[in-house]
Amino acid sequence: MLEIKNLHANVGDKEILKGLTLTVETGKVHAIMGPNGSGKSTLSYVLAGREGYTVTAGSITYNGEDLLALKTEERAAKGIFLAMQYPVEIPGVTTMNFLKTALNAQRRARGESEYDAISILKLVRAKAKILQVNEEMLKRALNVGFSGGEKKRLEILQMSLFEPKLAVLDETDSGLDIDALKLVAEGVNALRSPERSMLVITHYQRLLDYIVPDRIHVLANGRMVAEGGKELAHELEATGYGDLGKVPA
Amino acid sequence: MSTALGHREARRAEALESFRVRGMPHRRFEHWRYSDLRAVLDAGQVAQAGTAHWTIPALPEGVELFDLAAPNAPAWVLKAYGAIGNRPTMEEASLAFSEGGVALRIPAGKTIAEPIHLQIAGGGNLRWLVVVEEGASATIFEPHGNDVGLLRNVGVDVALSEGAALTHIRVTPFAPKSFAVEHIAVAVAARAQYRAHFANFGARLSRTELHITLGGEGAEAHLSGVTVLGNDGHADVTSHIEHVSGKTLSTQLFKHVAGGKSRAVYQGKITVREGANGSDSRQTARALLMSERAEADLKPELIIFADDVKCAHGATAGDLDPESLFYLRSRGIPEKEARRILINAFLQEAVETIASEELRAAIWHEVETALPRAMETAK
Repeated sequence: MLEIKNLHANVGDKEILKGLTLTVETGKVHAIMGPNGSGKSTLSYVLAGREGYTVTAGSITYNGEDLLALKTEERAAKGIFLAMQYPVEIPGVTTMNFLKTALNAQRRARGESEYDAISILKLVRAKAKILQVNEEMLKRALNVGFSGGEKKRLEILQMSLFEPKLAVLDETDSGLDIDALKLVAEGVNALRSPERSMLVITHYQRLLDYIVPDRIHVLANGRMVAEGGKELAHELEATGYGDLGKVPA
Repeated sequence: MSTALGHREARRAEALESFRVRGMPHRRFEHWRYSDLRAVLDAGQVAQAGTAHWTIPALPEGVELFDLAAPNAPAWVLKAYGAIGNRPTMEEASLAFSEGGVALRIPAGKTIAEPIHLQIAGGGNLRWLVVVEEGASATIFEPHGNDVGLLRNVGVDVALSEGAALTHIRVTPFAPKSFAVEHIAVAVAARAQYRAHFANFGARLSRTELHITLGGEGAEAHLSGVTVLGNDGHADVTSHIEHVSGKTLSTQLFKHVAGGKSRAVYQGKITVREGANGSDSRQTARALLMSERAEADLKPELIIFADDVKCAHGATAGDLDPESLFYLRSRGIPEKEARRILINAFLQEAVETIASEELRAAIWHEVETALPRAMETAK
């Protein structure tokens, strides 16, 4: 599904990713853990194609295609979805209109027929129920005045609507209390499928109690320093990130 | 002043003299700094521009109309004619050189639900005025045709009696080779309300100037506007609101989108006179610059002589928020469409202040037509 080889990336003039290598298998949930500043969010933005995040070396292959040659919107249409740590508030754009525009833009890019207003409304309503996103939220301006939990639920609603092949969840647990976390995790788990890969990026092991990964990778100082099964999360919780990532002499 | 002259002729003679003495406004005139009209147009061209045309295709029942080209104007016309404003030089020119125009009266207590369409066409000077009597209300939609020629210079008097309400929606077209000037003088009595929206799509030099006097307790003025410019477009909105009485309220919300080498100007001066205690004024002007060569000059100004006054102002100019743009694109929305969505969202706040759905739609239509111009010359 996704192969990242020796990836080096800068934010501005500063090198953040320093030779990162990672393989994500189809249908698997991979977690990336790591301390603050290790490059977790940079990796998620590089995957989504955000301006200002420059790849200086290495490659990313997504389903056999050079991901770095694609524009942000093309990556979305080809099935890459980034659930953001801080979803942006956009006054003047209603949530429902945004969902419709985005879904139809992706479908158009794939050469699929577009949804009309009524069928899209039905679709959104059905998906919104599980995530407890109510009608009133859909009528409001995108993310404006939403609580932290509401914003994250809306991210997961988008994920369920767009049905991505690769979902990247960047610190989806941040700012959530335990009830909100459970609700979001439930939404994510419902979307696990043999055709869909997930990359769950988190600082804490807590989220991984609810979204149990197949593999855990530890990122420190811009490269992968450890890898293991789901039990690795608890080991890290006990020992901390400690010396991981120190460049060996 | 000779008694042989009628009232209107006397006022016009005064205006001619005043224009002759002061001449064309230029950048050393207060509030003409960003729109140097004298540099591009001379007084002779203004004097010889002739008279622009007005048309009201359907006059709603209950509205009284007087054609300013006719003699023997009734008292309600004479009382307002050239009498509301602070007599800036281009307003004086519109009095001196226009041979016609129109006056409208909404009689006391009358509610005119249907908008009065006052269409303005052709080049030249023109006057129009509206008198809204006690407790009456109306909406005037003032679309300007794009056949401006060299110059269109319109002078307007608005007189609102106690408890009257006027909604005024003005649209000026894209006229890249023309000069378009309009001066609107508004007198708002106690508990009366003036609500206005100005949509500008640019000219070689376009100027909308407002002088509003909130002259009775509880008087209100609410201004909003959108400006969408591309190429070499220029649009200047300059307002001066005087809070003369206590508990008066004014709000302003202007949004500008400037692409190409265009220039958008907003100058908003608020004066709160001595004794106008408990007054409240808010002004917001924001500009989106779509290219590195576009320019926005946003200048709020406050002069306060009263106590217990609330005044707030804000002005910002910049590019579209990169985070918002990335968010939309990461959801599969192509960059151009994402930009368009964000620009519409930016303008929406100002357009939404228009209560009438029909007129809101008319403004959106013009905005949609103008936006590609602002965007195609974007960087």
